[in-house]
Amino acid sequence: MLYDIRVRIAYQYETLAAAGRHILRLTPAALPREQAVLASSLDIHPEPRERSGFIDFFGNQAIEAAISTPHMRFEALLHARVERLILPPPQDASPSLAELRADIANYAAFDLWAPHHYLADSPLVAVQDVMTDYARAQLAPDMSIFQAANAIARALHRDMQFDPDATTVETPPLEAFTRRRGVCQDFTHIMIACLRGLGVPAAYVSGFLRTIPAPGQARLDGADAMHAWTRVWCGSSMGWIEFDPTNAILVAADHVVAARGRDYSDVAPIKGVLRAGGSQDSLQSVDVVALDQ
Amino acid sequence: MPQTQTMQQLDLEFATHLLAGYRPPAGVQDELMDSMGEVRPVWRDFAHFLGRLTPEDTGLRFARGDQYLRDSGVYFRRYGQNGADAREWPLSHIPVLLSDKEWTGLGAALAQRSELLEAVVADLYGDNRMIAEGWLPPSLVAANPEWLRPMVGVKPRSGHFLHMLAFEIGRGPDGRWWVMGDRAQAPSGAGFALENRVATRRVFSDFFAHANIHRLAGFFTQFQNMLSAHTNGDGQAAILSPGPFTDTYYEHVYLARYLSLMLLEGEDLAVVDGRVMVRTVEGLRPVDVLWRRLDSAYADPLELNEQSQLGTPGLAGAIRRGTVSMVNALGSGVLEMNALQAFLPRICENLRGEPLLMPNVATWWCGEKNARQHVLANLDRMMIGPALSNRLPFEISSENNAGYERPPHLAHDAWLEAHGEKLVAQELVTLSTTPAFQNGQLTPRPLVLRVFAVRTRRGWRMMPGGFARVGRSESPSAIAMQNGGAVADVWVVSENSVDTQTSLMEPSDSTPRQRETVLTSRSADNLFWLGRYSVRAEGMLRLLRCYHTRLGEISDSEAPLLNYISSQLARYGVGPGVQPVGLINGINAALGCAAKVREQFSIDGWAALSDIATNTRELLSTREPGYETARALGELLQKTATFSGLVQENMFRSPGWRFLNIGRQLERAMLMCVSLSYFAEANAPQGAFDVVLELGDSVLTHRRRFSLEARRNTVIGVLALEQNNPQSIHFLIDEIYDHLRRLPGADTQGQLTPPAFAAKQARSEIAAYKADTLDSKALSRLHDQLAEISSLIDSAYFR
Repeated sequence: MLYDIRVRIAYQYETLAAAGRHILRLTPAALPREQAVLASSLDIHPEPRERSGFIDFFGNQAIEAAISTPHMRFEALLHARVERLILPPPQDASPSLAELRADIANYAAFDLWAPHHYLADSPLVAVQDVMTDYARAQLAPDMSIFQAANAIARALHRDMQFDPDATTVETPPLEAFTRRRGVCQDFTHIMIACLRGLGVPAAYVSGFLRTIPAPGQARLDGADAMHAWTRVWCGSSMGWIEFDPTNAILVAADHVVAARGRDYSDVAPIKGVLRAGGSQDSLQSVDVVALDQ
Repeated sequence: MPQTQTMQQLDLEFATHLLAGYRPPAGVQDELMDSMGEVRPVWRDFAHFLGRLTPEDTGLRFARGDQYLRDSGVYFRRYGQNGADAREWPLSHIPVLLSDKEWTGLGAALAQRSELLEAVVADLYGDNRMIAEGWLPPSLVAANPEWLRPMVGVKPRSGHFLHMLAFEIGRGPDGRWWVMGDRAQAPSGAGFALENRVATRRVFSDFFAHANIHRLAGFFTQFQNMLSAHTNGDGQAAILSPGPFTDTYYEHVYLARYLSLMLLEGEDLAVVDGRVMVRTVEGLRPVDVLWRRLDSAYADPLELNEQSQLGTPGLAGAIRRGTVSMVNALGSGVLEMNALQAFLPRICENLRGEPLLMPNVATWWCGEKNARQHVLANLDRMMIGPALSNRLPFEISSENNAGYERPPHLAHDAWLEAHGEKLVAQELVTLSTTPAFQNGQLTPRPLVLRVFAVRTRRGWRMMPGGFARVGRSESPSAIAMQNGGAVADVWVVSENSVDTQTSLMEPSDSTPRQRETVLTSRSADNLFWLGRYSVRAEGMLRLLRCYHTRLGEISDSEAPLLNYISSQLARYGVGPGVQPVGLINGINAALGCAAKVREQFSIDGWAALSDIATNTRELLSTREPGYETARALGELLQKTATFSGLVQENMFRSPGWRFLNIGRQLERAMLMCVSLSYFAEANAPQGAFDVVLELGDSVLTHRRRFSLEARRNTVIGVLALEQNNPQSIHFLIDEIYDHLRRLPGADTQGQLTPPAFAAKQARSEIAAYKADTLDSKALSRLHDQLAEISSLIDSAYFR
């Protein structure tokens, strides 16, 4: 699938910001065997005085920009063309929950996709008994990890209502879960908490979803803004599989990856936005147009 | 020989008086006494010396040490149910004595451990060989919030992660020392150790002078050389502190002063073109090395803890670019987790091919099956706590251990099975005891030592001494300072004479460089506002005193003049009653600014200011309105005069002093504008002119100049136009202008800075006024001009 992606994120401040330093993780990721970035440009306004890029711990392309012009509005504009590869649906080769513990213990390497990084509490996701109990209630005896993750994603889709007005970017997962409402960020964090509570390594993926569905398909929730979904470690032979709990589907050709991490705090598209000294208004628009369909 | 006889007599005396009740608990090593009840050789001279002291003498000596600590203002912050409060420094006057022979062995062991920790942290942020080889479980590292992913793969500019370390050690029943905790994040206590030394030396000055006790100054010289080695050219070396609300802030101030380092907080720093810069009144200046006393996670809200208000955005990026050195590297806190001690012995064998020279407390990480089994079989000898915590076993309490205690419905085995990854078990520690002075006698108390190490070009060196913590009771948990434990000096005693260098002015092997002190924008800001607030408080005190003096004279609180004064008081939020809220707030505001720049002024200046704050509350709540209160206010005004006197007489004529003075003079001039337009008004009640003369402390000046009753023209003349009265607006504006022209960078372009230009304008304006043209409208215009100067100073120097 070939996509033309346009993203605009703007923050309007109430008071003048004298300067700003930001880290952006917004551009589509170049991922061998998953997606290829054919072209990508990121404009920042006001024009940064310094701008540089680096690859972060999780392999994401991060852009650090320092603005020294006083400004009321900060804006980032992305234009990218991405080839998303169409992969065959995964074959379930995952162990049972009971077998997974040994699988993790035997994983001796400490690379960035080592399961160890995605089991403990992370800055925004803490394991909570209510979510662990909820997750356990979705399991049937002898389920594989892959089946378990699927069941939890489906359950969340069934029990949670997609509601952009119910939560903000700062709402803790437990609160969104208690209210059974939220957006893709909440669905994703809750699913991560559910899985980690069971001892299953789970990660956070931010990215984009095609805006107009393929002919004959329903429009997916979360297509108007940046999207998020869950990445699950299904044991050493099957590896990492991505689930979209907001839409109760496996991640496939409709999704384009921007960044991956333990939770939103590792992949936030823009960091360093002024909070002090007056509130700010933000605007986000995302267009993902399929060029070959 | 008579000599021997005397010694025996003294021994006897000593034994009867001081050691009468000295009985170390069974099965425990005692520092002073061996198992036969004999005083150990290293203590003998000191014990004789103590034995010769009368109780009176001992009391006087201890008081001398306490007085020093009070005068120097040393405190620590204690956290309780009602928040934090500053506590008196709990010095146990009896030092801990160790022979330098023993110390040498101890130093070698800790040097080995320092090397080992460097290798461990380099591996954790580098190749992860320990995990690949199975020497360290990956989950312990992955779950540790002190293992900072943004710093993975980043090599420190200096080539080393660790430059200063501390170790908590205790002596076991077999006489060996054990490491109980490693401190690599931002070790505290070296400055406190120095303060303990100074105080204890005052107590035993005569003994100390002739005893061969190793001095501490050499260690700080080595430390300074280490910092200097990180600076290249123009860059500054500075302490990065979390600020006045941290429990060891006193030490940051003390060390900044002692080592002539800038004391910075995160907001003082900015990253520009990849370099760390400090905001000063002279603009941005590069920083080469930061002695970090701020926990790593808080250092950069952009890449580390986003909630941090204490950090500098971009700092992690600057480290990645290798433009700044950190003592110690960001992320070294990962070494402090107790669970690491379960693996260090094996890691040492594997990495260095040798065993640990000093063992650490036997530790089991409960994430491993074998360890769990061992722990379950030996539960009665174990202390179980959080795996990632750095608390010492005796510091664990039910309050700080929430979430890590066994829930009542789980048996030990089920608990460890389910939560083992988060738990660590450590063998119960039996600490040695050392003498503390209680009720006129020496009493054995448990002891923990903190030993400090610095990296030098010739390897790790230990401070010959340290920070001892001594229990208040026999229970090991009574050692924690938060539980009322005491601290003591540590004397490393040599058989030979020692190098008695005590100052830092000794020549060193590094290129000596005159350290330039640059004033940070934040300090200048605080000094300026300290000046403004202190004068504002003084103004309120004067007005209150005017009120109460007249209340005493007239004794009719409804008299027109009294009403007139009290409505002016109300404008400052000060009622004439006993609780002048506005006044107390004003004094607290001044004190708050002073607290943030304690390193800028003398201990006496600080003491004078806090004295005013304490006394205001006390004096005013106990006095009757009228003369009584007026007298109390007079005493307070004398104290403010003491503070101003110290500022004028004792403060170095630095830019900081100028900012403080500009603040004082601006506030005084503005206050005078307001007072004159109110009290020197045509329709002001009778006696108002005298009030404003009193407010301007110019009653005598007026009498000398005019020798007649105050009239509007004479009052305006003395308090506004007179060029030689230090209280007059004209004089104050001249002074402000003069200070502003002497500030750094003020005259470099041959052009006045905006605030200096505005002051020059105000100056020519006031010079043009006559007593009859300077009416209320003109005064209020002048007031606004002064306020404008204040905000121009703010944007020119404090942003």
